Amino acid sequence: MSDVLLIIEDNEQNLYLMTFLLEKNGFAIIGARSGFDGIQSALHHKPRAILLDIQLPEMDGYAVMAELKRHRELDGVPIIAVTSYAMVGDRDRILAGGATGYIEKPINPDTFAEEIRRYF
Amino acid sequence: MAFIRQEPCDDVFELADHRVRLSPVWSFLILMLFFPGMSSAKADDPVVTVGVYENAPKVFVAESGKPAGIFIDIIEHIAEREDWTLRYVFGTWTEGLDLLAKGDIDLMPDVAYTADRDRIYAFHKEPVLSSWFQIYAPKGSGIRSILDLDGKRIAVLDHSVQEAAFVRLTAGFGINATITPVPDYKTIFAMVAARQCDAAITNRFYGLVHAQKHGLEDTTVVFHPTNLFFAASKSGPQHLLDTIDNHLLNLKSNTQSVYYGSLKRWIAEDVKYELPAWVATLGWVLGAVLLMSLAGSALLKRQVNARTRELRQINREMEQRIVQRTAQLAAAVEKAQAADRIKSTFLATMSHELRTPLNSIIGFSGILLQGLAGPLNSEQQKQMGMVQGSARHLLALINDVLDISKIEAGQFALSISAFDLRESIEKTVRLVTPAAAKKSIDLNLAIADDVATATTDQRRLEQVILNLLNNAIKFTDKGRVDVSCRIENGQYRLSVSDTGIGIAPEHLQPIFEPFHQIDVRLGRKYEGTGLGLSISKKIVEMMGGVIEVQSRLGQGSVFTLHLPMNSGEGP
Repeated sequence: MSDVLLIIEDNEQNLYLMTFLLEKNGFAIIGARSGFDGIQSALHHKPRAILLDIQLPEMDGYAVMAELKRHRELDGVPIIAVTSYAMVGDRDRILAGGATGYIEKPINPDTFAEEIRRYF
Repeated sequence: MAFIRQEPCDDVFELADHRVRLSPVWSFLILMLFFPGMSSAKADDPVVTVGVYENAPKVFVAESGKPAGIFIDIIEHIAEREDWTLRYVFGTWTEGLDLLAKGDIDLMPDVAYTADRDRIYAFHKEPVLSSWFQIYAPKGSGIRSILDLDGKRIAVLDHSVQEAAFVRLTAGFGINATITPVPDYKTIFAMVAARQCDAAITNRFYGLVHAQKHGLEDTTVVFHPTNLFFAASKSGPQHLLDTIDNHLLNLKSNTQSVYYGSLKRWIAEDVKYELPAWVATLGWVLGAVLLMSLAGSALLKRQVNARTRELRQINREMEQRIVQRTAQLAAAVEKAQAADRIKSTFLATMSHELRTPLNSIIGFSGILLQGLAGPLNSEQQKQMGMVQGSARHLLALINDVLDISKIEAGQFALSISAFDLRESIEKTVRLVTPAAAKKSIDLNLAIADDVATATTDQRRLEQVILNLLNNAIKFTDKGRVDVSCRIENGQYRLSVSDTGIGIAPEHLQPIFEPFHQIDVRLGRKYEGTGLGLSISKKIVEMMGGVIEVQSRLGQGSVFTLHLPMNSGEGP
């Protein structure tokens, strides 16, 4: 059975892009367009890893990470921030906020799946 | 008047710290307040109750038992004009805020604006003062920048906002300072004076008034600027705030006003004017001479008087000028901070907005090129490759332009950590190996055995090395590119040499300037922003190193980095 990944991303194009690319690389994908839906899906499906955009409407990525961390049953599920915040300190802030990994947008389509697997 | 001595209070304690029960003195004072028989206010004047606590020189209780300080001078001035009767309620900072939240008092002086507080209290718009936190150290400490605090012992108010802000600040710079939490400002300065700590953090007003007494001086390290206001009760009379704003605007526009008088009175250091003492002595001596010669010469007397007047006038003008300059400086600081904030927000937004569409272009062209969405014919493959190449090039341009903007806005900061330099160089060389192979260039790497740990910004150093490697491969059509690294004079020496087109002597000097490109013709052969070397030079300099170039036209170029093993220690 293939590994299930949860992608929390509000931008439709980006969600489609990552879904397509990762499905072709052998993953099963669950998509969520908001932080709230993402948390519900995470609790329901217990994915292998969670890919998380930081700029989300209403509940941003930091709030999502904080909420996910409250659930013991998700301990050990890596949260990988996939974000276009690339200013000084963004990376440190995101890792301090609870992310296991950090991938900067634009993603590299040639190596993206491999980068995700590295966090397993 | 009863008064409990309290420790000086922090400007911006968080609201969570405010749950303090009322002391008996407070309760007593409030009872007094509502006893009509004890009221001395005229029946028709509105009574405005103001909290008073200990935070000299902004608000405190003077030895006479009366409230004093900058905020008190201002509110008394306004009360006089508006026929308000002021009633003071004495206590601690936390008690005052608690009473204000309940509507038991009308105003609290010296409250920093925060979003949390805005939900509980009402604020006027024109700030009374701007404050910030500042590092104070013994005279001659040599502390000139945040980096000088590495390894130092810093005394800071326990559980305060400045403690949290300072911890964030040092973490951001990768600095290791030992933080000693201390319950009050007075002890903080005493500990530094006794050399139990190397430096102290207080708000700038407290430091201005008290640092000198402890033999300390202010350093240029300041952080966390805040605006300070009167906060009003949400349930109290709201017109108070508009009235305060109107008066503040008037007071601030007139350098002769009570506002500047109060600033000068409470926060100016005791500047000793040589001139007035001399004038007085001169006056006395001449007066004595005049007396001795009885009537004396009327002419001489007039001359002395005129001279004295002249000197007094000069003295007055000097004082005025000091007040004016102080106000101008404060305004300039505020303006510069606002501009900085706008610029950094703009940069962050631009970076984010441009990356989002690029993610799609690079991502989908990659999917098509990999054949994941179905096979492409060779022409489509070639064209999609061009789309992706152009998008990646655009991304590199955006990154370069953002880097140079950050450098010029002074917002470019290094994130320093220890890492394996050998591994870092090998990783970077691997990135360009395909490009070198494509041009059949011989790429060689020679790293000496003693090359080990470097303590600097790894990502930025790799950016510099990658820039030099990309340039070497770009400008070399045949031959070799050699990368070497060894230790020389206690520093790492890293060089990238090529057998490429080389640089003519007249072009060698400006090669590190921004936007410099040797070939600026429209149909030029080599693409690029002309920013890479300029950014590299800035990065290397921030790391305490230097970058050099040697080149001969038609024979090749050598770029050499001399880099301290630990950037934290400075050059």
